[in-house]
Amino acid sequence: MDQHQTITLEVEDKPGVLSRISTLFSRRGYNIESLTVGHTHIPGISRFTIVVTGDEAILEQIRKQSQKLIHVLKTENLDKSQAVMREFAIVKLKYSGEHIPKINELVDLYGARMLDSRNEVLIVEFSGTEEKIEMVFNDLKQFKVLESIRTGKLAMRTGQ
Amino acid sequence: MSDKVQKIQEITGAKALVKLLKTKKVDTIFGYPGGANLPIYEELRKSGINHILSRHEQGAIHMADGYARVKKKPGVCLATSGPGATNLVTGLANAMLDSVPIVALTGQIPSNMIGTDAFQEVDCINITMPVTKHNELVLHAEDLVPAIKSAFHIANSGRKGPVLLDFPKDVLNKKFAHNFQSEINLPGYNPTIKGNVGQIKRAIKTLKKAKQPVVLFGGGIYLSNAINEFLKFIRLAQIPVVRTLMGTGIIAEDDPLYIGMIGTHGNTIANRVVNKEADVVFAIGTRLGDRSIMKTHLFAKNAKIIHLDIDPAEIGKTIPIDIPIVGDIKEVLADVIQRLEEKNLGLETPWKINNNKRTLLSIRDAAPVMQTIFNELSNIDQNIHVSTDVGRHQMWANHYCTNPKHLPLITSGGLGTMGFGLPAAIGAWFADPDTPVVSLSGDGSFMMNMQEFIVAVENQIPLTVIILNDYRLGMIRELQTSFYNGHYTTHNFSEHVSFTKFAEAMGGKGFDVKSTEKIGSTIRKAVQSRVPTIIDFDLENISKSALLSLNSVAS
Repeated sequence: MDQHQTITLEVEDKPGVLSRISTLFSRRGYNIESLTVGHTHIPGISRFTIVVTGDEAILEQIRKQSQKLIHVLKTENLDKSQAVMREFAIVKLKYSGEHIPKINELVDLYGARMLDSRNEVLIVEFSGTEEKIEMVFNDLKQFKVLESIRTGKLAMRTGQ
Repeated sequence: MSDKVQKIQEITGAKALVKLLKTKKVDTIFGYPGGANLPIYEELRKSGINHILSRHEQGAIHMADGYARVKKKPGVCLATSGPGATNLVTGLANAMLDSVPIVALTGQIPSNMIGTDAFQEVDCINITMPVTKHNELVLHAEDLVPAIKSAFHIANSGRKGPVLLDFPKDVLNKKFAHNFQSEINLPGYNPTIKGNVGQIKRAIKTLKKAKQPVVLFGGGIYLSNAINEFLKFIRLAQIPVVRTLMGTGIIAEDDPLYIGMIGTHGNTIANRVVNKEADVVFAIGTRLGDRSIMKTHLFAKNAKIIHLDIDPAEIGKTIPIDIPIVGDIKEVLADVIQRLEEKNLGLETPWKINNNKRTLLSIRDAAPVMQTIFNELSNIDQNIHVSTDVGRHQMWANHYCTNPKHLPLITSGGLGTMGFGLPAAIGAWFADPDTPVVSLSGDGSFMMNMQEFIVAVENQIPLTVIILNDYRLGMIRELQTSFYNGHYTTHNFSEHVSFTKFAEAMGGKGFDVKSTEKIGSTIRKAVQSRVPTIIDFDLENISKSALLSLNSVAS
C-alpha cells in the first residue's frame, strides 16, 4: 500500500552523508517529496526529516538500510498522532495599493510575518502544518506570486 | 630529566598507512600501481609486506576476496585513481553481496585538483558508495589514522563487507605528526551481537511445539565462525536441515539430518520440505535471497518462520518473518544450546524425510559429465581450496563437490561474477600456502579474467584450473532453451581457444581431456604438481566417449 511516510534521521555531520541517504531512495525509484536537514543543538549532529510516498514495507526497508549507514545515529518513522510536524515558506508577491487590506487579512489569518517590502514587492513568511501551508498557497493564487519556496516538513516526536 | 620535549615524529601519509597495515598484521596486499598510489608503493617496498601484482585491478580485488574467505580476516587490495578505482567496482559489489571483509585502498589525484576532471580522476567515493559497507575520502592528514583503523574495524565486524579508502596523493606525500594512539569513534555503528532473550525464548517454544521443523542455513554460519555451535544445536534438537548455495561444507552430505539445497538449482526434496511440509522454518545466516526462496508467496507457506541474522535489515526484506532474532549466530546459538540443555529439548520423534538427492539441474548438453569430473576431484583425499566461476559448472559443483576437505566452495553467490574463480583461488592460496588450490571454470567465465593465470606462474602456485568446456555460454543456452523457445543467440563461441597452449604460453602446463578414462588421472596429476596447470575438459566429446564405451560393453 502506498502511503505518505515521514522518516527522521539523526546523523553525524560528515561529507557524503546526504548522498548516502538519498541513494537508498533513488535506487528503488522513489521520489523524495521533501527533505530538510539542519544542525541540532549538539555540535556535529544534524537531523533529516524526509517525506516520501511509497510501499510501507519498502520504506521500512529503506529506514533499516539508512540505520546501517555508519554516520547515521538514529532513525524513526513518525506519524501525526505522535509528532509535531511543521513547514515553513517564504513568498514574494507583487502588489498594488488596492491589495493591501486583503494581504493584511491573510497575514492575520495565518499568523504570517512581513520580511521585506519595496517597490510594490513584498516578501512574507508563513509557518505551520503542511495542510496550513497548502491553504496559504491556495489563497495566494489571487495575487501575483513572483517566487516562493517551501522548506518541506520538519518533524519531532512529542513527549520524551 | 631532560628539558627536551619528545616531539612526535613527522612522517608521510603513505608511511603512516603502511605502518598501520603492519600493526593490523597485513601480510599480503593485492594491487596494481599507478600515478596516484605510487607513494604507497614506495613505502610498501621497504615494509616486508608481500605485494602481489595482478594484471587487472578486478583480479586484485577478487584475490583479496579469496584470501579473506580462507584467512577469515580482511583481504587488502590497492589500486590507483580513475580506471584503477573503476576496475575495483565489480569486486567491491561481489564482496558486498557475499559479506566478505575487504579493505580497498585507492590513490586519488591531489586534493587541490579534485573536481577538475584531471587526468585519471573519477569520483571514486560516489561511484563505490552503493557497493561498499562504508567508504571515505581521506582529505586531511589528521583523519588518516582513524580512517584506517575504522576501515578494518567496520570491514570485519557485524555483517562483514568491503570498505574503501581514497587517498589524495598530497595526503600520502605530506609529512605530518600522525597520532597512532588516536581511537576510533563510531557512535553510529554498534552491531547487535547478543540476541534478544524474549525472542530466543519464543523461538525455542515455537520449535518445541513444531511437528515438522526444518533449519535453513546459509553462509552466515562461516562468517560468524559458528559451525560447531550450529552442528551441536541441530544434533541436540534433532532438526533436519537444508542449505543455500553459500552453505556448502557446513554439514556432510551423508549426515542423517541433511536433506539438500534449496532454490532454483537445488534439490527437489529440499524445496518440497521447506515450501510444503515444514510447520516451522528456522532460517540461520541466510538473507533468503530470491534464487533460494524462488516464489515469495510459495516459500514456506505452511510454516512459521524464525530468522536469525546479524543484519536487522535482512529481517523481513524478502518475506515476512514471524520471529526475528538479530544477533551474531555464534552467540545466539550458544545461548539457545544452553537453554535447550537446561530444558532437555529435543524432538521426541524426529520426522522422517525420504532422502532423495534428485536436483533441479538440467541434464542437457553433456552436463552430467561435470558430475563425473567433480566426483573424481572429490575422491582426492587431501585438503584443497576449491573456487568456482559462475554458470552451469558452479551449480553442478555445488552439488557434486562433496569432499569436506575441499569445502566450503569459494564461490560468487550473490553477484554471480564471471571471472571470479581464478583470482579467488590465487588469493586463497596466499592465505594458506600449504594447501593446493583448484579453480573450476566454464570456458566463458575463464576468459573473463584469464590474464591472472600468469600470477600463479610467477608465484609457483599449486593451482589447477579445471575448465568445463562446452565452447559456449552453457547457462545462457539453458535459459534460451527454457524461456526463449530454444531461440539460440550469442551463446556460441565460434572460435575455439586452445587453453592448453595458453597455459604453456604463460609458462604453465596444459592438458586436453576428451575421454572419460583420463579424467581422474589428469586431475590427480595436476593437483599434485606444483606447476600451475589448466585442464581443458571437452564436455561434448567426453560425453560421446562415455556412450561409446557403454556401447562396446554392451556388444
